[in-house]
Amino acid sequence: MAKKRVKTGVKKSRKKVLRQSTGSAGSKTKRGSSQVSAKDRKTLGELVSMADQVVVAARRRRDPHLDIPTRSLSNVKFNRRKRFIEMGKNTNRRLLFNLSQAKSYMQTMLVGSGCKQLIEQGKNTSIRGLYYMLKHTIEGTKENTFEEQSECDPVIEDVEVLLGTLREELHLYADKRGEMVGNLKLEDNGDLIDCARMGSGGYGIPSIVEPNVIKFKKCSAKFVLHVEKGTVWQRFNEDKFWKTHNCILTHGAGQPPRGVRRLLNRMHNELNLPIFCLLDNDPWGYYIYSVIKQGSINLAYESQRMAIPKARFIGLRSKDYERCNLSPSVRIDLNDNDRKRARQIMGYPWFEHKKAWQKEINLMLKNDFKLEVEALISKDISYVTEQYVPDRLADGDWLD
Amino acid sequence: MNGSVRKKKARKVKRHPTETTNGAVPRRRSSRRATAQSMAASQRDISVSEFFAKNRHLLGFDNPRKALLTTIKEAVDNSLDACEEAGILPEIWVHVEATGTNRYKAGVQDNGPGILKKQIPLIFGKLLYGSKFHRLRMSRGQQGIGISAAGMYGVLTTGKPVKISSKISKRKPIHYYEIQIDTKINKPEILNGRGNGVDIPAGPKGETWMRKHGVEWVSRSGEDPENTSAKEVVSGTRVTIELEAKYQRGRGSVDEYLEQTAIANPHVTLHYLDPDGGYHHYKRSTEILPVEPKEIKPHPYGVELGRLLAMLKATDTGTLSQFLTSSFSRVSPAVAKKICSTAGLKVRASTKKIGRGEADRLYEAIQGTKISAPKTDCIAPIGEELLLKGLHQVVPGEFYAAATRPPNVYRGNPFQIEVALAYGGTTAAQRITKETLNELLGETDLRTLRQFLIHTFDGIGSDAAERILKEADLGNRLSPGKLVVKQIDALHDAMRNVNIGEGQTMNVLRYANRVPLQFQPAACAITQSILGTNWRPYGLSQSRGSLPSGPVTVMIHMASVWVPFTSESKEAVASYPEIQKELRLGLQAVGRKLGMYLRRRIRVRQEGERRNIFLRYLGEVADAVSEINRANRKDLYDQLLKIATKKTAEADVKLDSRGRPIEEELDLGKNVLIVDPNEVADQLSAK
Repeated sequence: MAKKRVKTGVKKSRKKVLRQSTGSAGSKTKRGSSQVSAKDRKTLGELVSMADQVVVAARRRRDPHLDIPTRSLSNVKFNRRKRFIEMGKNTNRRLLFNLSQAKSYMQTMLVGSGCKQLIEQGKNTSIRGLYYMLKHTIEGTKENTFEEQSECDPVIEDVEVLLGTLREELHLYADKRGEMVGNLKLEDNGDLIDCARMGSGGYGIPSIVEPNVIKFKKCSAKFVLHVEKGTVWQRFNEDKFWKTHNCILTHGAGQPPRGVRRLLNRMHNELNLPIFCLLDNDPWGYYIYSVIKQGSINLAYESQRMAIPKARFIGLRSKDYERCNLSPSVRIDLNDNDRKRARQIMGYPWFEHKKAWQKEINLMLKNDFKLEVEALISKDISYVTEQYVPDRLADGDWLD
Repeated sequence: MNGSVRKKKARKVKRHPTETTNGAVPRRRSSRRATAQSMAASQRDISVSEFFAKNRHLLGFDNPRKALLTTIKEAVDNSLDACEEAGILPEIWVHVEATGTNRYKAGVQDNGPGILKKQIPLIFGKLLYGSKFHRLRMSRGQQGIGISAAGMYGVLTTGKPVKISSKISKRKPIHYYEIQIDTKINKPEILNGRGNGVDIPAGPKGETWMRKHGVEWVSRSGEDPENTSAKEVVSGTRVTIELEAKYQRGRGSVDEYLEQTAIANPHVTLHYLDPDGGYHHYKRSTEILPVEPKEIKPHPYGVELGRLLAMLKATDTGTLSQFLTSSFSRVSPAVAKKICSTAGLKVRASTKKIGRGEADRLYEAIQGTKISAPKTDCIAPIGEELLLKGLHQVVPGEFYAAATRPPNVYRGNPFQIEVALAYGGTTAAQRITKETLNELLGETDLRTLRQFLIHTFDGIGSDAAERILKEADLGNRLSPGKLVVKQIDALHDAMRNVNIGEGQTMNVLRYANRVPLQFQPAACAITQSILGTNWRPYGLSQSRGSLPSGPVTVMIHMASVWVPFTSESKEAVASYPEIQKELRLGLQAVGRKLGMYLRRRIRVRQEGERRNIFLRYLGEVADAVSEINRANRKDLYDQLLKIATKKTAEADVKLDSRGRPIEEELDLGKNVLIVDPNEVADQLSAK
């Protein structure tokens, strides 16, 4: 459970009472049921106290404001002991009576009221659904409450951090992305699923994978191999890599969504499976690894349940161009943006003191090109599944 | 082409070198075209009148349209000068009447002191005859060319004589003359009354005579000449000139001249009957005559060597010291002594014995001696208050500011600059009635509609013209004369509706000694100063090297004992550094006030927008909050609303954009007039 970060001046006592009642929040949230679970009651309480503040401020002729924890690099702290990113204590004050903030204040309140309706009706919707639910023309103007979904999404995240609630607690889910296949049996919303019998398509990882939705039943796999995107995952699945090596194969279609990250975290912690990542050799790949391992800057408040500090990076490595004797045609030149990003990543506190990583990124900068996992296909279609990954695993050649 | 010709010649020379030299040189030597004797036979005096008859453009008679304007202008200027000199509040009647194709009769009458019988033929029939050339005194006319030249132009183009009637007091008869100017000898030729003119007795008898013989005379003041109860015109002069001309409204027209005259002369009442029968009445907004300007002697600094020589020759004073002190202003005996000693001349030297060389030294000495600037009380400025009044009367706007600079001196001539500015309101183009537009379209000889808009109306630039035409859905290149009724309607609507404020350029009214300058704006120091001033800090947009844009009218008046015009047609002021400096300072003074006003306006608007933004979102916030915690929506909304008003009100007084505290009242100093925009609209609809 994420730490409470509501700095909104809500009466502390009330919050404590609410928190106590969260423990037993089980799988009571049933779709369509109008019965409100204890967990939902707690979320509702948070929402109501946010609204109460406005009323109190208005009655006292004060500026209504919200103190929203800052979601940026400046407000994250790398916890060396826990080895993941934690959110700092900085907050941004959002005022209603400030020209540049008035609209986002209004939007924050709207999202709050939208979530309240969802919770009361016991329904879930995607963040896009919520955007459509709240989008309307402001009375007497030609202006819309939200012009685009990109305006709405950050406000939802603001509400999450403001109330210290999780997205699913607000009855919202992100678009699902990412698939899984392997020697694992699980129960998804009451249905029994055998991930070893998912054909070529694999099991689509839902965006909410909390224990009340997904329960692990039986696992014989020894590790998890997470690859960057669907094409590579397809290769591994077709070659039945998970069968030969007794593992679970996942991918997150680029930057893994919350569902995938949370599931990896749960498999790692609950099933004690080591996580290996096969990502591109470029700044983007490094950052995906960083997010899986330490948590993301934007969702630092969720690191606790997302980060996997023991995740390992098995490839692609900067030295692979020479080691695997790749043809020059597979190289992609770095652009200025890539170089800038690489230097930025080198400077992150969690990479700063790792010599191997410094060497790795420096080598890429020295090469001045990047490599995608698909580059290995130029050697042989199944080179990556039959040689590259097995060799790395056998040699224990990975970055931590 | 040049090159090829040269080549050809060169080739020819090469081929026949002997032939060319033999052919050309002897012929030149043998046949002299004229001898000194034969040439002497054709060398003779050129009369001034003849010279100007041939060079009429120098006096402003370049084309028929301008000729009409110049004629009326000269007559009106003379009338105003005469009235003011005599201390009479001027009332002027201007009648323009079409007498044939391209022929107009222009009559101008005043209620001035009248002219003595024997002077009439000289004043109106002799060029360079007048009272104003030989003195240094602020007046409209200067040389004594204007009205007689206009008469000459009329005689030249139509053959009709100039008709003058003048009356000097209630009981005295009206002297009536028909005059022609003899261009050869520069002398008037009286045609009526066997060369002596006619005296028309005062009273009803004379009136009947006048009616019978077609002599025009307005005998009652006020709007209606038939109104017998109105005050009788006891004295005055009327001049009627028939000339080849063209009447056309718009820029540089008679109408524009009279309107601008009314602005700069708020003490004048003008009655104007245009050729289409339209009657325009500009009523005086003040009963106070401008202060009578004093006549001054020339200042030594402004005298050239030639003039100094002439003055030395003409003087009847004995000693040099006497000459200097009596002929110039600001020369005391001490100063005279200093000049003489610098020039190495004796103070008591006889003026008769001063030769060229001595005069040269004297001239140098004058330039090198420190002489205090001439007295400036010889100038009668319009004054800030009357400037505002005059401008407000004629130019509709919401903000007016005026500044009168202290007098200054250029080349020994005192002068004074006055600047007034009007901002906002609508332009003439937007006020136009459909009938006038129709007439204007019929009159114009411009080929395209776009040109018509740009050249007929002040303040419409090419940008605005294009927008108007786009709005009206008319082509740029349509001929103005060939529009059908529907198209005219569309154009009229578009002119009223399109906001030309943005594409509008500053409207500049230039005056010299209260006379509007309507031509050659580019050559004029006034325009150059406006162009050289940076208007951006004052809230107007301005592209490099052009007039600022916006609904602004700037009026600039230069008053001086001797206005330095660039030509005899008196259309542009020459740019002396001192004049430019004063112009710049005057423009900046009104510019600053405009800037303050515009900044405040912008701020007020911004505050309004701020409040609006809050109000826009408050409803949504109240909705959302009451949805979440079931609070009373209305109460919450009202409370939030109160905070919003309090917040924005606080911001109103707290700080401006630079973070400085703002005073409640906008202190623009004196001589600023701010009109409520709603009033402007009323004023317009009333018109």
